[in-house]
Amino acid sequence: MKNIVLTINGKKVSAPPGTSILTAAEKNGIAIPTLCSHEELAPYGACRICLVEEENSGRLMASCVTPVAPEMTIHTDSPRVKDHRKNIVRLMIAEHPESCIVCNKGNRCELRRVAAELGVAETRLYPMPNHKPFETHNPFIVRDLAKCILCGKCIRADHERVAVGAIDYSDRGFSSRPVTLHEMPLEKSRCTFCGTCVSMCPTGALSTHNTFFTGTPETEETTICGFCGAGCSLSLGVSDNRVVEVNPSPDRDTVNGATLCVRGHFAHDFLLSPERLLHPLVRETDEEGNTRLAPTGFDAALSTVAGRLADIKRRNGEESIGFIGSAKCTNEENYLFQKIARVIFGTNNITSTGAAGGHALIREVAEKTKGTCRVRRLSSLENADAIVAVLSDTDHAVPVAGYHIKRAVKKGAPLVVIDPYRSDLAAFGGVWLHPEKGGKSGAFGIDAINALTARLIAEGGVDRAFMDRYANDEHGWLPAISAKDPDALAKQAGIAPERVKQAASMLKNRKIAFVPPCDLLERQNGKALLDALFNLALITGALGDKNAGIFIPALENNAVGALDMGCAPDMLPGWRKISDASEKESVAAMWEAAIPEKEGKDIHAMIEAAEAGTLKALYIMGENPLRSLPDPERVRGALKKLDFIVVQDILQNRTTELAHVVLPGAAFAEKQGSFTNMEGRIQSFIPVVSPPGDALPDWAILAMLARKAGYPEHYTAIEKIRQEIRRVVPSYTALGSHRQEWVKQNGSEIPDSFPLAPLHTPGTGSEPDEKFPFIAYIGSRRWHLGAGTRTARSARITASGRTGEIEIAPADAMDLGIANDSENGGKPIIRLLSPFGAIERAAAVNQGLPKGHIFVPQGFYGNDAMQIADFNALKPPGSGWRNVRVRIEKM
Amino acid sequence: MDPTQFDQEKLSEIIEKYQEKKWGLIPLLQQIQEEIGFIPPESIEPIADALQMYPAQVQGVITFYAGFSLKPKGRCVLKVCRGTACHVKGSRSILRMIKKDLSLEEGETSPDYQFTLETVACLGACFLAPTMMVNRDYFGKLNPTKVTSVLGEYRKDSKEA
Repeated sequence: MKNIVLTINGKKVSAPPGTSILTAAEKNGIAIPTLCSHEELAPYGACRICLVEEENSGRLMASCVTPVAPEMTIHTDSPRVKDHRKNIVRLMIAEHPESCIVCNKGNRCELRRVAAELGVAETRLYPMPNHKPFETHNPFIVRDLAKCILCGKCIRADHERVAVGAIDYSDRGFSSRPVTLHEMPLEKSRCTFCGTCVSMCPTGALSTHNTFFTGTPETEETTICGFCGAGCSLSLGVSDNRVVEVNPSPDRDTVNGATLCVRGHFAHDFLLSPERLLHPLVRETDEEGNTRLAPTGFDAALSTVAGRLADIKRRNGEESIGFIGSAKCTNEENYLFQKIARVIFGTNNITSTGAAGGHALIREVAEKTKGTCRVRRLSSLENADAIVAVLSDTDHAVPVAGYHIKRAVKKGAPLVVIDPYRSDLAAFGGVWLHPEKGGKSGAFGIDAINALTARLIAEGGVDRAFMDRYANDEHGWLPAISAKDPDALAKQAGIAPERVKQAASMLKNRKIAFVPPCDLLERQNGKALLDALFNLALITGALGDKNAGIFIPALENNAVGALDMGCAPDMLPGWRKISDASEKESVAAMWEAAIPEKEGKDIHAMIEAAEAGTLKALYIMGENPLRSLPDPERVRGALKKLDFIVVQDILQNRTTELAHVVLPGAAFAEKQGSFTNMEGRIQSFIPVVSPPGDALPDWAILAMLARKAGYPEHYTAIEKIRQEIRRVVPSYTALGSHRQEWVKQNGSEIPDSFPLAPLHTPGTGSEPDEKFPFIAYIGSRRWHLGAGTRTARSARITASGRTGEIEIAPADAMDLGIANDSENGGKPIIRLLSPFGAIERAAAVNQGLPKGHIFVPQGFYGNDAMQIADFNALKPPGSGWRNVRVRIEKM
Repeated sequence: MDPTQFDQEKLSEIIEKYQEKKWGLIPLLQQIQEEIGFIPPESIEPIADALQMYPAQVQGVITFYAGFSLKPKGRCVLKVCRGTACHVKGSRSILRMIKKDLSLEEGETSPDYQFTLETVACLGACFLAPTMMVNRDYFGKLNPTKVTSVLGEYRKDSKEA
């Protein structure tokens, strides 16, 4: 369509039809003050500050909601416009409390800025302060609604961006205000404390609960969040070299836009934890034979590390040393770490606890698609044609990915949720496929996918041409599943056949975006479910499509990058297999060093080798295996047998207690580097504050260690490591040249003759039995990330009073006689026993759980949930440590 | 009579009728208001679920319109007109008298749920000023005697009922 030409302040401008006058003016460098508009929110027209005058009609109109029309003659700054704007601001201020001096919004208050620009000091109106409740009970958000100007940004952010629906206007006129359902305090509402509203609020009505800082931060710097795999851009407010505030960064084209989650927004106070490691520590033995960790300098500590490791290598061989890298550290650090392991100490014993937290899934998908589907933008997910969320935990594990799914649904994409639990997503709309009469089967996911697939095939809702072009049905999957009766499959899964029919009719002939959970391969039958998903994706032509395919959430900020950098026992940087001699030789040539022949040990094998006494030393960077691995007692026993443990971390933790040398590293905000997020977006960042005490960026510590251990190359700057990565890792040739870059894919065409997996009849796994009649799932709740080593150090998360009760189905609670207790507000303590261990915690009824299922949130109580998990389930290919048979004893 | 003991089944029936019809929020609320006499707060979430809306949005609509009430009202709802014409004709005194007679303030409901006293800005029957409505009936050209007799009639009904 043709552009519309109009005049703004005497200047001829043109804009596409449908553009608002405000946008057209801004595009042409004409600023119009506003209080309620935000580029990510739909225009609303609440504040009326953006009034402009149209000369021909003489009308005043709100420019944010008025589209441009031909031959308009707009004045944005005429005396009449200014006069009206002043009056509006005067009325707002007459209603506003006179508290600017103590208001935390300080110099960032937009109302104050607009008033100052218009020169409104005295209102000359009768002050009518509108006293509304002041709410400060939760540790995250302070609500002082007396300062609310009813711009509706918080409500719109809640509805449009994060799609939670915790608040809306209530009442009207003078008494209207944003409230929760039944006017409950936020902590009793469905609010997830993502804090998006706080960052958007133009006045001091919403502010961050901050016990250690008042005022405006001195500087604001952009960095990347160090929690989950979404990789949100943060703007950190800094005062006195402390991070005092976190907001979404104002940069364009970020993953998160204007949103964050409770961890990203509020949990970064862990950076100020008194348990931060400040000095290198070396274990000393006094005269009485007691040992303690004594502070020392980096030089001495690293000499000890280099000396002891060289000694152990000489005496026990290369295989006796293990390295555990980190899905939380940067690409540069992981690269250097695995290089030190391989080149200096000559071992491929390099892995990370990502092995127990999502690496398997990332690897499996990349290997199946031969590296062609590595870039999966969340913005594409938001534009999906249809979405199938399978056992999806995005709402809690990777909240920003969850927002994208919900926004897609709000835009009209049909959503099918396959989940025995009534998750937030299942309640959000669309069709929810679940075992309607309960059921404990760990195979529900596959049964449901098979039923859906069979129904789609029966109704001709598949892309035959695509299938014939790409799929290779060597196992005869298609005839096998076509022969099945879709209704019988639905019944086998416990789903009403009509539900599956409904789901199939919604998905028919659409390109589907599949969202599995990030821990899919840590669940029982996860591999079979993934195969079933890939088959369905192939026959519906979803693979290779921009807005469809399989979207893999990542639990940790650099889970993807750590793999790309070769933090794996069988893989060199750039996914080069050690078993492939030519690949190995090419890396060896670039490194000008020999690479050990044998594949190294994974995390499970390392612990077993430590128990057997063949592993003598472990170097752990940025991981806390005593907290994050199943069966922590067994891991502790294994680690205690080691001769030498080096832990390089930012916080004191259980693993540092066992260490012989502790090296204080820097958190994400304190160092330079890059993370690769779940989308394949490589995001570089620079330090915002300096590390506490003597702590140093981890790459600098590793560079010093390499030097000490006699490696000739001196990595004096991060750029030197990046240069090498650009050379060695083909998909990272763009690393560091811009703030964000994308992983180079292995072509965009999906591989030919893509094998369809055979029809799975699920294995039995650990089905519940008489002794352990329930099936527990150890999963995430949004308050903690993974094992919670960092989030548990956040004063706000701790103060939120979220205690991670064991969640039980209503019917089971009734049978156990604990339903009534919990209705009375008292929380009964129960003992949860599995074949591997037991935990005691409060129990709560979760209305969304089917009978027989138990949900155990991870990260709480020092992550004691790992005590009931089976360590041996980690042994490749992994039998799903997150699902475990349990029984309940009432205390 | 205890209006908090309402017909749950009827409520569910009304909500069921509007399942997934987002446009139907206001007619749905009107029907509940009409048939149950108020909109029970605990019905907000089922309504929101049925219409695929956020509960807070449903609450926002209910609290925006004066025609919807989250609290049970009396059997007889008195709406005393406080418009200009009625004011000139002495509606303030009429209101004062009713308040005294029923021992109710504006917006209150008697503990036995017989009477609710409300004021409105204009009933649109200025030629009958001063006016009031009781439920759906207009009473115009009010004076103290007439008010007493109207209230008396409704009281009598309540005793019979």
